[in-house]
Amino acid sequence: MDDLQFRRTIYADPHCADDEVKLAASDDPKKQQFWNEIKQLDAKISQASKVSVPDDLAHKLILRQSLESQKSQTRHSKIYLAIAASVIFTFGLSFSIWQQQNVTYLGEYALAHVQHEGDGYALKANGDISLETVNAQLASLGAEFKQSLGRIYYANFCNFGNIRSYHLVMEDINGERVTVFVVPHSGDYKVEENFANERMSGQMFDVNRASVIIVGDKANALGEMKYRLKQNMLFSA
Amino acid sequence: MFSRKQSANDSVSENMANKQKRYEALVNALHSDIFRYAYWLVKDKAVAEDIVQETFLRAWKSLDSLKDEKAAKSWLITILRRENARRFERKQFDLVDMDDVALADDGLSNETEIEHRELRKLMANLSDEYREPLMLQIVFGYTGDEIAAQLELNKNTVMTRLFRARNQLKEALEKADDSRGYQNG
Repeated sequence: MDDLQFRRTIYADPHCADDEVKLAASDDPKKQQFWNEIKQLDAKISQASKVSVPDDLAHKLILRQSLESQKSQTRHSKIYLAIAASVIFTFGLSFSIWQQQNVTYLGEYALAHVQHEGDGYALKANGDISLETVNAQLASLGAEFKQSLGRIYYANFCNFGNIRSYHLVMEDINGERVTVFVVPHSGDYKVEENFANERMSGQMFDVNRASVIIVGDKANALGEMKYRLKQNMLFSA
Repeated sequence: MFSRKQSANDSVSENMANKQKRYEALVNALHSDIFRYAYWLVKDKAVAEDIVQETFLRAWKSLDSLKDEKAAKSWLITILRRENARRFERKQFDLVDMDDVALADDGLSNETEIEHRELRKLMANLSDEYREPLMLQIVFGYTGDEIAAQLELNKNTVMTRLFRARNQLKEALEKADDSRGYQNG
């Protein structure tokens, strides 16, 4: 091994364990001396490289990491919270929309009910039902007539949008037929004082536990009928 | 549902505890060498400490990707070098001129201290491409092959740089000795 090669090898790695290098050194004291010098230099470099490490560095590194993982945990729980909140929000929103759609528009329903029957049974009925019979049946809805308001052509329970109600066809002061519903309050409902479509109109009033809905031809004096019903019907609280 | 969640939590926290242990072992075993290596990369203790913090934080985050603890050293060095490169992307730091900087005082005895200080200055003045492989060899005891792998260089290049690094240091020391000799004489 020539001198240059030897030096290069030793410079590059003073702790070289290569046999050829060892042999070259043992053959040539100068080479051995050079090797020793470089080993010494390397020991110095190694010493000099050992700059002091901040005392608490290991502690800081562990602390910083635990803070970080706590932060990411909080971040996770924040995400979960946000998801939960948005689920609840969505649920609440759709629930209230659904509920709103469930509101019973009593007036509309009454018009539809009468119109659906059209010239059907109730309006054509020709009964003359006694006040006692009507009051006996109305009692189950907590209502009664104080006195007769005229002929009652038809009276029976009916299904008013899934609410068990009472359906009357009465004679008004002009001798016209008027439909009257007594609908117990149930769930959400919306009272419209006056309502109408092309063929019929209606009015209603609320008592504590029920609504009374009057539907008739537009020309009919529904106001009058409403007034008389208000005056002459009793409702239990 | 709650009990299932509980047991899932238990295994999660057990994993966390294991991860924590691995991390702490890593910190305790390697933080000094990593810090010193960082110092010789950036030549500034405060910056070195910052980079080491970032390095270990990243290491913690991706600790699961470290399958073999034996590879931890080179894994950390890789992260550290990347952090250092990132620092340069963020902003072009003022290059520290070692002549203007008071080097770390380690409270050694006077003569050794002077010698160390001089040698440190010379080491700091080596160009990065010489200093970095030298420090991998000195600080971590890396072989030529390991340095080549770590720095993604060819081994011959590494050996040449190591040779030049020591050669320059030796010549510079001799020159300094000579000039001191003149001054004293």
